[in-house]
Amino acid sequence: MENFEPKIVAFLCNWCAYAGADLAGVSRLQYPSNMRTVRVMCSGRVDPVFIVKAFKEGCDGALVAG
Amino acid sequence: MELAGIGADRLHLAWVSSAEAQRFAEVATDTVESVRKQGAFDPKAFALQLNAAERTLGGETLRWIVGKEVALTKKGDVYGRKWDEEQFGTVLNSVLEREYHKNLIYCAVSEGFTSVREIGKKIGLDLKRISYLLADLEKTNMVAFQGMEDKIPVFAAL
Repeated sequence: MENFEPKIVAFLCNWCAYAGADLAGVSRLQYPSNMRTVRVMCSGRVDPVFIVKAFKEGCDGALVAG
Repeated sequence: MELAGIGADRLHLAWVSSAEAQRFAEVATDTVESVRKQGAFDPKAFALQLNAAERTLGGETLRWIVGKEVALTKKGDVYGRKWDEEQFGTVLNSVLEREYHKNLIYCAVSEGFTSVREIGKKIGLDLKRISYLLADLEKTNMVAFQGMEDKIPVFAAL
């Protein structure tokens, strides 16, 4: 359990958080690599069903960022 | 999430603008740390709950209610009464809980837990609530009464 690396599905808005994540990469900021990113055109596009589905498929956590 | 016993701490919501790389890195770190604390999630242990949650969130009842929010709080209902947001929130929560429990019962019945007692053992709801919601499920043709077995009513999912 010590080295548990959670799997996190991140729903990122194309115009806000995705660009932010991109910039974080470009400016070489350190952030954890546990995220599996799903780019959406707007965070309003994220249906609660997507999140339930992500958990069904076995992710440990979810992040919606816009 | 809380209702299904998965825990609200597994789901994070944050606002990050495109210029806020630093903030994104922080949000990402916080999310990972918080989920790490929760430990691994086993979807098999929550299969029934996840199915019920999926049916609830994808179902029409909840969508109707959510879609009515602006109309009810800004324009008023058919009697011309305006709802305050708190009142709407309370109704939404109780509808959510009821729909979730109904779907939980439906999922349990489809998996072969056919009597009220068995369903109760499986999903941990009290028997009175289950009978009440079963009657509701019967009305909408989701569950049907199949007859008696050893004086125990048996239900089947349609």
